[in-house]
Amino acid sequence: MTVHNLYLFDRNGVCLYYSEWHRKKQAGIPKEEEYKLMYGMLFSIRSFVSKMSPLDMKDGFLAFQTSRYKLHYYETPTGIKVVMNTDLGVGPIRDVLHHIYSALYVELVVKNPLCPLGQTVQSELFRSRLDSYVRSLPFFSARAG
Amino acid sequence: MADEALFLLLHNEMVSGVYKSAEQGEVENGRCITKLENMGFRVGQGLIERRNTVLLLVDLFRFTKDTARFKDELDIMKFICKDFWTTVFKKQIDNLRTNHQGIYVLQDNKFRLLTQMSAGKQYLEHASKYLAFTCGLIRGGLSNLGIKSIVTAEVSSMPACKFQVMIQKL
Repeated sequence: MTVHNLYLFDRNGVCLYYSEWHRKKQAGIPKEEEYKLMYGMLFSIRSFVSKMSPLDMKDGFLAFQTSRYKLHYYETPTGIKVVMNTDLGVGPIRDVLHHIYSALYVELVVKNPLCPLGQTVQSELFRSRLDSYVRSLPFFSARAG
Repeated sequence: MADEALFLLLHNEMVSGVYKSAEQGEVENGRCITKLENMGFRVGQGLIERRNTVLLLVDLFRFTKDTARFKDELDIMKFICKDFWTTVFKKQIDNLRTNHQGIYVLQDNKFRLLTQMSAGKQYLEHASKYLAFTCGLIRGGLSNLGIKSIVTAEVSSMPACKFQVMIQKL
């Protein structure tokens, strides 16, 4: 069980942060395009999910999975989107993504006057805390499983 | 917890506001730092007027009949390190040192206004901007307790920092 990578977007589609732990295959396009592709896809899928829902919407889009990986999604009312790709054995991790938002992004980026909002995060502290947090997750193993 | 975030964010905006409205040369000649320090001074003066302060002074009058000067000063500095720091930052100063000749060094190993900035050397050059207000806060508090001082701060590795208080003999 493992975590492949993580994206953090703001409400304008700016990719605030990206980090990978186990990624065997790259997208084959430049990183900027990859972020745009990811954001665009998320935007469309959220709208699709709410339109086509046969019942009243509760949380909206949560995750999708393929035969190899699962993409987990979490969005805040302020439009911050946390996207994590893990392998298939991992169940719902809404609380993990929420923790990344509240205890890491809010504490170390929003409250850091030297991290301007709307730009990629340069803070070393954020990078290292996020890395330790992900590595400490019960479903993260150092060997890609 | 809500008001802690409020003070932090407001303080950050204040620093950025002072620097944004700085005129030609004010950043380099330290005028911005002085403005922040003065703001802290006035806040410190107001903040020290609280119930705890009254109780402290009553204790001092009762127990220091021989009014050895450094003893009062030391008690006031301890008050700053414990009660005053807790009022503002929800924690105490971690270490207080003095040479018993009017110089005190207050060490905070996890200074609340720096903990979310970095855990080492990143952004170190900007740290002094975020310490100026607190230096003034200490100076203002001491001033209304009857102590004139000069307060400076230094950071070598965030979020630990040291505030140096030099008592001015009148």
